[in-house]
Amino acid sequence: MTTDEMRATAPNATQVNPTIPEERVSGLWERVYRYRFVYVMLVPTFVLLFTFNYYPAFMGLYRAFFKWDIGLQPEFLGLGNFQKLFLEDDVFLKSLRHVSILTSWRVISAVTFPFIVAELIFNLRNHIHKYTYRVLIILPAVVPGIVNLLLWQFIYDGTHGLLNAFLEGIGLENLQQPWLGSPKTSLYAVTFMGFPWVGGVTVLIYLAGLQGISDEIIDSSLVDGCSGLRRIFAIDIPLILGQFKLIIVLAVIGGLQGWVAIFVMTAGGPGTASMVPGLWMYNNAFLWNKMGYASAIGMFLFLLILSLTILNIKFMKTSDV
Amino acid sequence: MAVIEGQSRPIQRLQLADSWRRAWRSGDWWRQLVLLAFLFFMFLPFIITFIISFKDIPQFDHAPFRVTFPLHPVNYVDAWRIVSRYIYNSLIASSASVIGMVILAAIAAWAFARYPFPGREIFFFGVLALLMVPGELTLIPAFLLVKTLGLLNTRWVLIAPYIAGGQVFAIFILRQFFEALPGEMFEAARIDGANEWQVFRHIGIPLSQSILGVVAIMHVLSTWNDIIWPLVTLSSDKLMTLTIGLYAFRTAYYTIWGPLMAGYVIASIPLIILFAFTSRLFVEGLSSGAIKM
Repeated sequence: MTTDEMRATAPNATQVNPTIPEERVSGLWERVYRYRFVYVMLVPTFVLLFTFNYYPAFMGLYRAFFKWDIGLQPEFLGLGNFQKLFLEDDVFLKSLRHVSILTSWRVISAVTFPFIVAELIFNLRNHIHKYTYRVLIILPAVVPGIVNLLLWQFIYDGTHGLLNAFLEGIGLENLQQPWLGSPKTSLYAVTFMGFPWVGGVTVLIYLAGLQGISDEIIDSSLVDGCSGLRRIFAIDIPLILGQFKLIIVLAVIGGLQGWVAIFVMTAGGPGTASMVPGLWMYNNAFLWNKMGYASAIGMFLFLLILSLTILNIKFMKTSDV
Repeated sequence: MAVIEGQSRPIQRLQLADSWRRAWRSGDWWRQLVLLAFLFFMFLPFIITFIISFKDIPQFDHAPFRVTFPLHPVNYVDAWRIVSRYIYNSLIASSASVIGMVILAAIAAWAFARYPFPGREIFFFGVLALLMVPGELTLIPAFLLVKTLGLLNTRWVLIAPYIAGGQVFAIFILRQFFEALPGEMFEAARIDGANEWQVFRHIGIPLSQSILGVVAIMHVLSTWNDIIWPLVTLSSDKLMTLTIGLYAFRTAYYTIWGPLMAGYVIASIPLIILFAFTSRLFVEGLSSGAIKM
């Protein structure tokens, strides 16, 4: 009698999945009730996320389909913004070429120079030296990013800059130029800044991977006569592909989002010689109040980052040992 | 002769020579040489900044990159007068948001890690999905939102979004860490009569200090370096953070390099102090936890 009553209270659930025992079925709401304090724990987090993350994200996607100027009623355009973006906006198309150069170099430099430094530190015999170099490598990371950017602006400065002074010093005066002020060089100047391209955090991530390789593998490779460069390519790189994958994803995202550096260094100039999509979005939104059009660029960047990340994760298989 | 001399402490001498030979053969010397070359170029801009920060205008025009005497520490006084307020503003924004962020993220991550409540994975996926949303997508609507809420040119315009955004990554990292903690300890505490809050506060948190520290430092670094959000939401000079303050400072002092570089040095000090106290935590946190995909 009592079991019939219980069955009657939750008829839908038992029909959906008859194999689940009755206690489990009635347990769902019971469990929600039992864990009610957990939901209370999550309330502040989700209130903030809804306000400052979910709402703007959905709004950004939604308004990309509108002509939306500040102070005017939004006007639905369908795909009009995207049509304009890819068919009529030459600056935007040019900026796509620029950002692919920037991002390619970021990926190339992130998988080479920091990895070389990580291997060098990893192979040091002396543990005190090992620790010292790890700390020294990370030290520049605590200098505020803006200081770094402004310093590079100074290095490239046409009249007082360090780079021009260096060229004069080695007798190549004819190469001197205002690196950021000339349309021929400004894009390459912002691309290649940050010499010697060793990010401290990146080095530590590689190093963490190398230290995670078990000693048996390294020992047995030594016994088999595999050492030096051969070990790096045959053992180290395949075993820390997970780290490489992360670094590549971060470099791609960083390259596509790295427009703030260009905003500070050249503001996309001279003219639009170093314009990138993110900065073009900023200009449209905050200089010319074209919020709908800017949202369309934002949505495009979102989809681009999303698909490149998924591609990267699918393409490179991680093998855990 | 070598034998006679070596007779006093033969074993130690042998070891010394041996370790020296091993270091030579293992190639540590060239590794260190290459590393030092990398480090030299990494630090070169900062060294030159430091040198220029003590120059007056004629000294800079005459010999921009060499140390020149007399030094002009007065540059630092000039720079401090301008930069100190920006540092104060950045300190408030970063510290208030890091405290709020760590508390909220720790509580949420604890909930995700330790309680099999219904809907756990759906909620967690909701948080994770935000990792894929770039700032470009949300910048404009978020700006219009804070404008509507009347938050422009207040301290809250930085603090509240920083707390909200910083949580995402922190919850992701903290949940993994909390899940790996041994569950027996919490069971034992419960049997001894501790309630859920006490388990969290007196066992969970003390066990997780290092990872909480790493999460907090990374949050401070990212908020301290943020440029675009303060730039679009703060126009009052009184509230400007260090990044946009320095940007304005550079425009104003364009040719007066001495005080400008002194300003850059001063601007770097707070994070260097933070790093001095937490470097061990930071380096080890990043090196030990296998951060990968």
